[in-house]
Amino acid sequence: MYTRLCAFLSKASLMLAVVGLIAIILCVQYQVFGRYVLNDTPTWAEALALMLVIYVTSLGLAVGVRDAGHIGLESIIVLLPESIRLKLEILIHLLVGGFGGLMAWNGYLWTTLKWSDTKPMLGVPSGMDYVPLVIAGTLIVLFSIEHIIALFQGKEVEPAWN
Amino acid sequence: EEFKSADVHNSDDFPTVTAVKFMGEQLSKATGGKHTIKVFNKGALGSEKETIDQVKIGGLAMTRVNISAVTSMCPKTNIPVLPFLFRSVEHLHKVLDGPIGEEIAKDCESQGLMILAYYDSGARSIYSKKPIKTVADTKGLKIRVQQSDLWVAVTGAMGANPTPMPIGEVITALKTGLVDAAENNFPSYGSSFRHFEAAKYYNKTEHSMAPEVLLFSKAIFDKLPPAEQKAVRDAAKASIPFNRKEWAAAEKKEEDMVKAAGSIIAEVDKKSFQDVMGPVYEKFASSPDAKRLVKAIQDTK
Amino acid sequence: MELTVLCISFTILLLIGVPVAFAIGISSVCTIVAAGLPIAIVFQKMVGGMQIFSFLAIPFFIFAGELMLYGGIADRIVKFANSLVGHVRGGLGMSNVLGCTLFGGVAGSPLADVSAMGSVMIPLMKKEGYDADYAVNVTTHAALVGALMPTSHNIILFTLATAGIAAVSVFDMVLACVIPAVLLTVANVIAAYGVAVKRGYPTHGKFPGWGVVLGTFLAALPGLLVIVIILAGILSGVFTATESAATAVFWALIVTAIVYRTLSWENFLKACAKACKTTGVILLLIGLSAAFGYFMALYSVPEKTGELMKSVTSNPWMIFLMINILLFVLGTFLDMAPTILICTPIFLPIAQQYGMDPAQFGVMMLLNCALGLNTPPVGTTQFVGCAIGEISVGQVMRSILPFYGALTATMMLVTYVPAFSLWLPQTLKAALH
Ligand code: NA
Ligand code: NA
Repeated sequence: MYTRLCAFLSKASLMLAVVGLIAIILCVQYQVFGRYVLNDTPTWAEALALMLVIYVTSLGLAVGVRDAGHIGLESIIVLLPESIRLKLEILIHLLVGGFGGLMAWNGYLWTTLKWSDTKPMLGVPSGMDYVPLVIAGTLIVLFSIEHIIALFQGKEVEPAWN
Repeated sequence: EEFKSADVHNSDDFPTVTAVKFMGEQLSKATGGKHTIKVFNKGALGSEKETIDQVKIGGLAMTRVNISAVTSMCPKTNIPVLPFLFRSVEHLHKVLDGPIGEEIAKDCESQGLMILAYYDSGARSIYSKKPIKTVADTKGLKIRVQQSDLWVAVTGAMGANPTPMPIGEVITALKTGLVDAAENNFPSYGSSFRHFEAAKYYNKTEHSMAPEVLLFSKAIFDKLPPAEQKAVRDAAKASIPFNRKEWAAAEKKEEDMVKAAGSIIAEVDKKSFQDVMGPVYEKFASSPDAKRLVKAIQDTK
Repeated sequence: MELTVLCISFTILLLIGVPVAFAIGISSVCTIVAAGLPIAIVFQKMVGGMQIFSFLAIPFFIFAGELMLYGGIADRIVKFANSLVGHVRGGLGMSNVLGCTLFGGVAGSPLADVSAMGSVMIPLMKKEGYDADYAVNVTTHAALVGALMPTSHNIILFTLATAGIAAVSVFDMVLACVIPAVLLTVANVIAAYGVAVKRGYPTHGKFPGWGVVLGTFLAALPGLLVIVIILAGILSGVFTATESAATAVFWALIVTAIVYRTLSWENFLKACAKACKTTGVILLLIGLSAAFGYFMALYSVPEKTGELMKSVTSNPWMIFLMINILLFVLGTFLDMAPTILICTPIFLPIAQQYGMDPAQFGVMMLLNCALGLNTPPVGTTQFVGCAIGEISVGQVMRSILPFYGALTATMMLVTYVPAFSLWLPQTLKAALH
């Protein structure tokens, strides 16, 4: 049940990220079009692309946690005996999950602090830049818990998409 | 306590960097070495916007930024950025040193930011590959601007095609013709970013004199005993004339350097530019407060 | 005190297997707590670090690379390379080097290169009687050229890591990498040929004639045009580097979906999803490295490292050698992106002080990090190559020395002869002026 929820969240995040990535590319291409064809550079395009990239990154990095896609040094723990290795792996997921929690909490702090301030060129609250931290942080916590449960059950978390 | 102060300029000799160091010496003297200041320039602690937020939450004591970086937080700081508002450097100094400067500084305190000093940043002008004489020459010109609503509005009002772009890409963009012009002060045109290598004509539009500001964290300031608060304020005040002197010398040096390198520095028909700025004032100075301040500045002799 | 916390917590976290990005993040949090500063700064730096316009080129190049990987471009490049050099001694080895270099130019990533070219070439070479270790080494080393190609996101990464230290434009870096990339290819060909002769691999077939070469070239051309688009876009000033990268994505899509018709809808979605994940992983690393950089500046780490090195020697040649050795040691167990992000702020100011140009330093660093991709204990391209070749890392070491030699020779030439990296950008800049 919990795994199914996480799998759904993971796939949904990735789909949203794909939409975001394509939107970023369209923004940048429209900027070129505006500059040369309309001779009126759309000033919002770059600003929007820069805001979207944080959303795409946050979603992608959270899925990266679930799919164990982050680059790390695994050479030493594979040499350790099974029982210690299991404990160490749980510790790693606890640390990553804890960092996710901090990310969500501090993202929330910045979001509220910067909400009354407007972003130049876009006119939206500056706090929008920090909302992705809340999303990514929460997802990281959920996915880390999923990994820990899976370790106790002796299973592995299957990537939800490819 | 060692107060940390941020600055984005790369050169250790830049007038804002040396001014804050000078302030540190004054402060150390006044407090018998209890308080000192260490300057982290080259953007080591972050961009202008980032360091402002750090100052806001009390994670950093001081930062030196251009005033246009705080306009979205404290509306009155928009005023000194407005185009063609100041008649001369003397006029600018007179306004900032008086009650108007104080009123603008007060506006930031509710945001946790205290403006302790206004530093000079010179006048911003448009530099381009072809000479610009009147506002008509900017029609359709691709001018690089900072990512800021005001600069987009100012260049847009001239009839140009404002193109926001990070400063690091400007030199290549000018060389390859991706943009036709940019706008900035002498040091940026000169040795800071070497834009003179790609844009020969420095047209003295002098469209804005947006000053630099030295921000102090209110959270940290409020914890100091009154005597030390006064020492901080006094040291900051003392650094202003120091900065102005250094700035004037630096600006002159940069001007001579670009001239020697073959740049052509020419006057423009300022009136023609001034005449099209109506929409900018409409958009950024329409509140009663803003109108009152603009009038007071224009009336300052 | 804070620095000790930073170093010790980072090392421990890394050793117990916490992913690098999170190790950086958690140790930054520990440090900021020790320094008595708000934790919020770490996350502010993280967002700020991810949000720089030029970084947008990174997701674009990654996306284009994924499209190329799933879109059947590798097959056409293999056919072209084979028709050109397949007949000489160790022919498949030669075509492998050529093919990997060309695909590297298209995809700009050693990892994508090994995955795409390796999965075609390694089984083919094994079938033709080449030893697996040779097949894997040729592929994994030729693939490293991808890191120096105009489509390489590592080039962008380096230019951004120099912020506040030196002004290196993407334009300069892209051009500075061109001649070293050619040098490395030549060195790879020599190494591949040398091993082929020593092991007595036979010659194979005959030269199929220039007509066939031209035919296979034309078939591969649409894919190869990506390199031309990016170079021409930046050089002519029509696009910024970021815009060129966005255009590369469009071109990759057109070529694979319309010209070659090899990209299925399913593969397209896979490429998209993979690109988003990789973007997340790399930009998280970049963002958190910005927090790391903040501490290094706050506690003057570059200055202190510089003084330490100065106390050992003041000879620029020795300093450069020391930097190379330190980079190599780090590269053996760190991936390319973290090495670039962590080491640039430390070593670039030192190298500059001893007269090295920042762009030259960048090429040297890219080459050094590339070498790290093929060294145990952690070498990502080597892992992938070995997995495709179905051999162990131990087995692959048997014929690796000539290839290490080729890379090291190129690295030394770039380190000690500035012209290899600087001549082209300077000449072209002068021409533009
Ligand atoms: Na790439
Ligand atoms: Na390695």
